[in-house]
Amino acid sequence: MPITAERGYVIPAIDREGTDYRACAHRLADSIRSWHPTAEITVITRDDLPHGDQGGFANDWQCWYISPYRQTIKLEADMLATGPLDHWWTLFEHRDVVISQGARDFYGRHTDCRRYRKIFDDNHLPDVYNAITYWRRSTTAQEFFDLVRSIFTHWTDYRTLLRFPDQDPTTDVVYAVAAVIMRPDRVTLPEGMGPRITHMKPGINPIRTADWTQELIWESDPARINTVAQWGLLHYHVKDWRPNE
Amino acid sequence: MTTGALIFAINNGATDYAAMARWNADNIRRHLGIPTHIITNDQSPGTNSRHFTDLGHVAWHNLSRADAYDLSPWDRTLLLDADYVVATDTLGVLLEADQDLLAHDSAYDITGCNDFHGLNSFGEHEMPMWWATVMMFRRSDHARLVFETMRMVRDHWSHYRDLYKIRQATYRNDHALSIALLVCQGHTLDHAAIPWSLATLTPEHELTSLTQDRYRVDFANTENHRRWISVAQDFHAMGKTQLEAVIADHS
Repeated sequence: MPITAERGYVIPAIDREGTDYRACAHRLADSIRSWHPTAEITVITRDDLPHGDQGGFANDWQCWYISPYRQTIKLEADMLATGPLDHWWTLFEHRDVVISQGARDFYGRHTDCRRYRKIFDDNHLPDVYNAITYWRRSTTAQEFFDLVRSIFTHWTDYRTLLRFPDQDPTTDVVYAVAAVIMRPDRVTLPEGMGPRITHMKPGINPIRTADWTQELIWESDPARINTVAQWGLLHYHVKDWRPNE
Repeated sequence: MTTGALIFAINNGATDYAAMARWNADNIRRHLGIPTHIITNDQSPGTNSRHFTDLGHVAWHNLSRADAYDLSPWDRTLLLDADYVVATDTLGVLLEADQDLLAHDSAYDITGCNDFHGLNSFGEHEMPMWWATVMMFRRSDHARLVFETMRMVRDHWSHYRDLYKIRQATYRNDHALSIALLVCQGHTLDHAAIPWSLATLTPEHELTSLTQDRYRVDFANTENHRRWISVAQDFHAMGKTQLEAVIADHS
């Protein structure tokens, strides 16, 4: 893919399991543009995949081939930008690859909930979240995505190396395994540095039900949850949430 | 710039908060070297009186912690609960702080027996709590706004109780302060806090006096073994009866 801009955001939006990821991706793109009107953003759909639909998460590595930017921040589609993001470029640009680590609750507190991260703990994997991933065109990034592709393709072999592995890998687990193989410090920032998503899964937040959008009071402009202002990226988890409709 | 302490001591049938406040005013004078202004409904000498240690008694109506900004005669005020025991000069740090308003954003059990996680938040969704037990404020737009917002919360308590899903019906200054700080800080939790946690003694532990500024706390630890500690620090005494006994012992 020829480079068309120095920096840009890439948002994979491969619809599956009845989830309209394209709608999610365009909402995310709109929210980024509300903060950064000139931001370069590419939404990747199934038709854009150069190697065809590999199924679910296994398409992730194709973003490397599709991104038209010298520096890319890849974002998961079901998120909203609730504040400016452009300071991340300054933080990331001295690295070849940065995968975000850790997550926050809607109060902005780093979560110590491990309910959804058992496989990471059981295998001493770094606590990475592919929801925010930066790379620049580099041999390191090439190496990383080749590895990600290899792990997805040969998961039946890789899973034998892990304790209590999932039948099908998630992108986060594949990124974590790749990070271990490459050395975590090559693809992450020191712990506590860099952005963390606000993750609205119930175990991370003090809520009683699976659907926080029905349980908590939320406002979209400005973004607040239970009156608390949000910042950074909000991973809303409830895919059919339509805050501005 | 004038500096002093302010203590609300609203007596009820069970506790003589005014006596506590007078005792603490003496502690404050000894340790911090500042005068204290007590707001009370003490029946002596007048009904519904506002007692000034330096000015005597004047009438008051519907006074509460949220009115502290208007009631304080000081430029810089150390606002304390009557049951907060001043045993050191630690709070002097707050009087030097270049901040408009400070409060504790966490409290802990002085014996280490109780997990205060549930007490350091409120409502069904565990809103982080700021404690109104100890506050420092100085005359400023920000401090005035915080107290005005506390009054708004107090005056519309049922609304805020519903909003934050607070089970208890009783209005609490801590909740009003927490909501006010959130609102006045742009709906963020980034307000400056007193840089240490609020030491707290819960009522099930026994409090006695060892010397003028040293206390003994007897308690059963988490394995139900009897233990005691010697305490020579400021603390919030939640057991009012025990504190009254200590004060009587000192008198």
